Amino acid sequence: MPGLSLWPVRHSRGLLRYAWATCIVAGGTLLAEALYRTFDITRLSMVFLAAVLVAALHLGRGPALLSAILAFLIYNFYLVEPRFTLQFASAEDFLTLLLFLAVALGTGSLAGRVSDEVTQRRSRERTLSTLFEASRLMSATENEHVLRERIAEVVASAAQGFAVVIGDDHVRHASGDVEERRAAEVTAGELARSAMSRAAGTTLRSGIWSSRPLQADDRTFGAVVWRPASDRERRGSEVEGLIDVLVDLGAAAIARAWLSSVKAEIEAVTQAERLRTALLSSISHDFRTPLATILASASSLLEYDGKLDAGVRRDLLENIQEEVERLNRFVANLLNMTRLESGVLEVRTEPVLVREVIDRVLHRLGRRSGGRKLTQLISFRDLEVQADPVLLEQALTNIAENAVSYSPEASEVTVWANEMDGQVVIDISDEGAGVPARDQARIFDKFYRVAQSGPAPQGAGLGLSIARGLIEAMGGQVLAGGRSDGRSGLSVEMRLPRVTSA
Amino acid sequence: MIPQSRILVVDDEPQLLRVLRPTLATAGYDVTTAETGASAITTSAASQFDLLLLDLGLPDMDGKDVISRVREWSDVPILVLSARDIEAEKIEALDRGADDYVNKPFAMGELMARIRAALRGRQRRYSTQGRFKAAELEIDFSTRRVSVFGEEVRLTRREYDLLRTMALHAGKVVTHKQLIAAVWGPQASVEAQFVRVLVGQVRQKIEEDSSVPRLLLTEAGLGYRLRSEDEE
Repeated sequence: MPGLSLWPVRHSRGLLRYAWATCIVAGGTLLAEALYRTFDITRLSMVFLAAVLVAALHLGRGPALLSAILAFLIYNFYLVEPRFTLQFASAEDFLTLLLFLAVALGTGSLAGRVSDEVTQRRSRERTLSTLFEASRLMSATENEHVLRERIAEVVASAAQGFAVVIGDDHVRHASGDVEERRAAEVTAGELARSAMSRAAGTTLRSGIWSSRPLQADDRTFGAVVWRPASDRERRGSEVEGLIDVLVDLGAAAIARAWLSSVKAEIEAVTQAERLRTALLSSISHDFRTPLATILASASSLLEYDGKLDAGVRRDLLENIQEEVERLNRFVANLLNMTRLESGVLEVRTEPVLVREVIDRVLHRLGRRSGGRKLTQLISFRDLEVQADPVLLEQALTNIAENAVSYSPEASEVTVWANEMDGQVVIDISDEGAGVPARDQARIFDKFYRVAQSGPAPQGAGLGLSIARGLIEAMGGQVLAGGRSDGRSGLSVEMRLPRVTSA
Repeated sequence: MIPQSRILVVDDEPQLLRVLRPTLATAGYDVTTAETGASAITTSAASQFDLLLLDLGLPDMDGKDVISRVREWSDVPILVLSARDIEAEKIEALDRGADDYVNKPFAMGELMARIRAALRGRQRRYSTQGRFKAAELEIDFSTRRVSVFGEEVRLTRREYDLLRTMALHAGKVVTHKQLIAAVWGPQASVEAQFVRVLVGQVRQKIEEDSSVPRLLLTEAGLGYRLRSEDEE
């Protein structure tokens, strides 16, 4: 397991380190004995000092000091004349011994401290990199499921054992075989339940098991339960602290994921609500005005029939007819939008003469164009497009109506059609204020309306959105841009499949 | 022949103006039109009108603000055109000083009747007659005497204040708020429920069958309307 090398044994068990220190000194003694026997060297203090240094570098300060004292005693007992006593023969020997002890203690202490610092630094680095890795893993996803799995993995690896994340209804495993999991789940479940009922920020320990609730922003998202792989003594407090931080990090990540899912939900609801409100207000306005006009005109004709001039009577009748047509268009638009939204729009394409469709659109628009000049430029008379004639007419009407609504009176609206790259291109340009480049893609969004300085034209901002839906349903594309001649105004370009003469 | 009444029609829908203008003209009114709130304000300030027919949905400003502005200097009757379902808007329009409303869509006959009632109210307000009569109900303002079918009816002070207020605006809607101001005083904080109770008491005394009122009518959600003097 790669995790084991991260948490070396010698640093996690205090007593063992001292045992190791004793062993190292014993080894040094054996080596000294061997050298003494073979080469009959008596000045072997360096061997013992080397043993102290080795112990210090590998085991840290405490074991180093132990080894220094041991080495001093053994050296004195074993090599200093008279041998096998703790006595010494001369003042010189005494001085040598004293010096040995001082050097051994000093070396052991210094080297041990260096070793301790290295160990601590390594451990801090490991903690940091574990935390960094964990936060990277957790911020990489907003999927709560994945997050819970990752938390379990990270905690299991830090605990070098087994970890379970228990949520309201999820249980995720990170390590351990099936048998172990089953046994663990029962313990874990109980522990998690009591951990969740605790105040935030407390870790509950029971035997080798630990549990900490996943809490963030006063909300509990479950709990993590973990234990080391074996039943040996628990990890150091440093590791426990690290795991606590990991669990809290995980809780924060889950809270974030949860909040963003709630936010997305709210946004979806708001969007639907906005749609409904806009639709309602649009219906109430776009339906009520024609209805009011029709009712007023018809009742006026009934009430004042004899008194009204012939011209006025005719005008009222025409008014009724136009408003009924307007209602009819509006109903068609609403129906198409509903069909587009629900994906049940039926498209029946056939070859359609572009000239005829544009004629019809402009003729009907003519009455409502308010003095605007409507021009059509069609490259050749027989230009045909593969489209649904009804839907195409509706789409063109919507785009042309938009051009009329957003351009000044007495300006010109141009409808241009041509064949390009095997497609039929129809372009409707007006001489209005145009749309800033950054907003050009958005004008096809539902309910998008350009911010106006003056009074805004009527409408709910559905026309262009429906037009795009219809054109795309017929396999075409719609693009908005500035006019190609550089003047101010909006140009909406449609591309549809051409009818091949074959 | 009485001089033609002058009506300012404020509406931004050309198709609706196309009906209103000739029809009102045929009915004998002198019609001027304005398509924005701003032009409505300047036009009504520039010359004298007998009635404002105001659509609340205007392109440049809220129709209710037009009422407030016009009311700063003029008590010309204001008849509001509004959608049926926007109750709150109508109440606010009436509270700000509109005299009456007509739901959109409307039939010409109804609009004409409301216009006539509003014009009559204007004349009555300036008449020196101290009397009001609608069907069997009679009020003598000088003696505070109220009678039904010629028999005197005793009203409390508040009941009389309410009935007098309704009579001064006969044929038009009076909102809860306006009634509270007239009966309890403009600063009073009285709940609409009190008005309902008071209206009930008045009905007990003046209606033949107070559960089917024919004189003091309820305008659901808005307020009350007293039958106007010479309605059929």
